[in-house]
Amino acid sequence: MSAEPKAAQKPALAHLFWWFMFSQGGLFAAVLIPVHILVQGVLGPLGIVRVVDRHYDTWISILGNPIVKLYLLALISLPFFHFAHRLRYLLVDLGVSAAKSTPVQVVFYGGAVVVTLVTIWLLLTVAPLSLG
Amino acid sequence: MTAEADTAHARTRTYKPAMPAGWWLRKRHYFLYMVREFTALPLALWLLWLLFEIYRAGRGASHFYAPSSTPFVIFSVICLLFALYHSFTFLRLAGVILHFKVMDKPVPSALIVASQFGAWLVASIVIGAVLIGFGR
Repeated sequence: MSAEPKAAQKPALAHLFWWFMFSQGGLFAAVLIPVHILVQGVLGPLGIVRVVDRHYDTWISILGNPIVKLYLLALISLPFFHFAHRLRYLLVDLGVSAAKSTPVQVVFYGGAVVVTLVTIWLLLTVAPLSLG
Repeated sequence: MTAEADTAHARTRTYKPAMPAGWWLRKRHYFLYMVREFTALPLALWLLWLLFEIYRAGRGASHFYAPSSTPFVIFSVICLLFALYHSFTFLRLAGVILHFKVMDKPVPSALIVASQFGAWLVASIVIGAVLIGFGR
């Protein structure tokens, strides 16, 4: 058997990775974000309900919980990989052909990586770990 | 291949379809497609605000204040509308994408979509209960 058919069957792992991040980011955004905006962005500020981020002590306390830290990392980081893809293709659909180029891909998907790194750094430095 | 044919082959140009700038305003379906793609922007802005809230908590109690301004609430309401549109369009897609069988019978797409919306409802109740329950 020649090596050529084997090369043709090589899985596109990079493609798989970015599509996986796109779909998971979209799912996380769809399932998790609306309730955060409703409670933290509307009901809390209007004084309709008590919300954990309305007082420093409750907010900093819950931010120290390791499960909350992992949750917030998934909540903030994953959707940005979805957003990067959608916004890049929004530009393509608006006629900005440069959005297909490699430098623009680096900017958009790199932006999602930067947001992930910033989120990790903030979650590790803002509140000390506590299980209380 | 002759030299002339070789040159002509090298000059072959790629077909680039030219779309008018406002193509997406022609039909309601096109417009809604673009709205779906655009939802990413307000959602990204709201998550960046949440990230900023986490950063502000790290600056200490003296720098902390809970945002209550009308512009912030309006911003959140606009983001919420786009978030709901993203959720409806994305979760509805599951009925098209997911195909599997139970007991050798294909699961109806309506049931798959209903399970996605059910999961969304349960997740929203749990997260809402945590956000409100730990508040004071």
